[in-house]
Amino acid sequence: METVVIGVIGADVHAVGNRIIEYALKQAGFNVVNLGVMVSQQEFLDAVIETNAKAVIVSSLYGHGELDCRGMGDRFIEAGYGHVLLYIGGNLVIGKTDFSEVEVKFKAMGFHRVFPPNSDINEGIERLKEDLLKS
Amino acid sequence: MKRYCLMDVGSTFTKGCWVDTDHVGVLAWASAPTTASSDINEGIQNVLNKLKTIYPDFNYESMRLCSSAKGGLRMVAIGLVEDLTLKAARMACANAGAKLVGAYSHKINLQELKEIEHLKPDIILLSGGTDGGNEEVVLHNAKQLAKLNTALPILYAGNKSCQDEIQQILNEAKHDVRISANVMPTYGVLNVESARDQIRACFLEQIIEAKGLSALSTIVQDIIMPTPASVLDALSLLAYGTKDEKGLGDLMAVDVGGATTDVYSLTSNQAAPSGVQIKGLIEPLAKRSVEGDLGLRISAKHVLDLDSELHENEDLCRYVDRITQEIHGTSNSSFDIRLASSCVKIASRRHAGRLEQIYTPMGLETIQYGKDLRTVKTLIGIGGPIVYADEPSLILSQVKQTEADILLPQSLEFILDKQYVLSCLGLLAKTDPEWTLKTMKHHLEKING
Repeated sequence: METVVIGVIGADVHAVGNRIIEYALKQAGFNVVNLGVMVSQQEFLDAVIETNAKAVIVSSLYGHGELDCRGMGDRFIEAGYGHVLLYIGGNLVIGKTDFSEVEVKFKAMGFHRVFPPNSDINEGIERLKEDLLKS
Repeated sequence: MKRYCLMDVGSTFTKGCWVDTDHVGVLAWASAPTTASSDINEGIQNVLNKLKTIYPDFNYESMRLCSSAKGGLRMVAIGLVEDLTLKAARMACANAGAKLVGAYSHKINLQELKEIEHLKPDIILLSGGTDGGNEEVVLHNAKQLAKLNTALPILYAGNKSCQDEIQQILNEAKHDVRISANVMPTYGVLNVESARDQIRACFLEQIIEAKGLSALSTIVQDIIMPTPASVLDALSLLAYGTKDEKGLGDLMAVDVGGATTDVYSLTSNQAAPSGVQIKGLIEPLAKRSVEGDLGLRISAKHVLDLDSELHENEDLCRYVDRITQEIHGTSNSSFDIRLASSCVKIASRRHAGRLEQIYTPMGLETIQYGKDLRTVKTLIGIGGPIVYADEPSLILSQVKQTEADILLPQSLEFILDKQYVLSCLGLLAKTDPEWTLKTMKHHLEKING
């Protein structure tokens, strides 16, 4: 059973979507470490180190994801955990920016997959299973 | 009816209590200087002789003992992440009554290994990884510990998945290996009880011998534990009570010594107030913290460094210079009160939780780290510097909340352990809780705040 760390990054307190992700991942047979809301980059990394998690799913709903996630991929690489899959989803930026631009931006920050608003969690879990098989 | 002789062997004084569990209250007390040489038996014998002289009918069926002599129980804690398994390991050591002399996180290197060798701890607590989590680092650390030149008791309280391998590595290196449940089995969940019990068992079997206390085994029949562990047992009973005898409810206690300051908190609720997010490890309901840099003698200079107000007082600085040189020299009670107040103020603020407020796009959010002690109503003063102070309430009042973000009690009633019963009575807390609780209530003294 693979371990996945999840949480809502930054000063964001939107808890519901993150709970749904936890539920869906558990249904799919994952061991879930849910860090809750207002999670810092370092807390995500610390949880990965202790639990040997293979993936991190970051949620951000309040539009400040870009500021909160800057340097996250580098932080994981620097700590020796660059192999851990980093996913992010939610309302990642304020305003009506084209999602393809958002995706480029977050992939440049080290995220392996970026999900737009209203994504289907079960599809995301299928991608996660595929990526874990490859990694 | 059962008569016990309960001994507390301190670094300077050995105290003895004679009790009969058919009668609430202590029958008799005596104390004598602890013999600092190779054997502490002499001090114990002197206490026994005093009791026999004063009370010709002095007799007992069983003797129990707690000890903080010869530096107490000195431990090194090793974890993986500083704020997670290392923090959990630190708490397990403190709750078992140990004084932490070193703490290491992530992979330990040869320099750190040399440091550990130099520190000569009584026990090393090795932790790291949640169950099923990281194995790499804790296996590396076990292999490093296998290189130690001296065989030491090592307690493994980490990821259960590599427990067998670690036991084998350390056994082959001739270390005395013990295993307990993981101090952090899943992320953010603290589990110190199993490690604490193993530390106490190890103290009883191994440490006593190493500290030249082995001759005790002929006169002490069963329980021997580190003094702070006995105090924590006594305070837990006093706070939570038993089925038939009500406890005092949530409480705190402080004990200032020459080298360290201990703070205890016994609470019954961990829920955060609404609108507050709790971060970090959830701390134990019965928590002990020990500050190795706060004390009235050996660490007095460091107290001056931390408290700028004290540092400006030249007479006090001269006093500290003198007493750190001559630990048993003449003391000045008003200076000692100021030093003790400072120790208690700093130590209680390190022990308590804190709030942090963050402005977010959704408004002001509050985060809580550590324990919320604001509703605690009782504070117990333990140990000579507080109990014998002219105005103990001056020292104890330092525990009250003064900063809104530090979660210390808002109003407190003060109680003193004037007759030094807590450490001795803790030795009976698990055997005869009803009697112990009644006896503690009988001897503890309320003072005006």
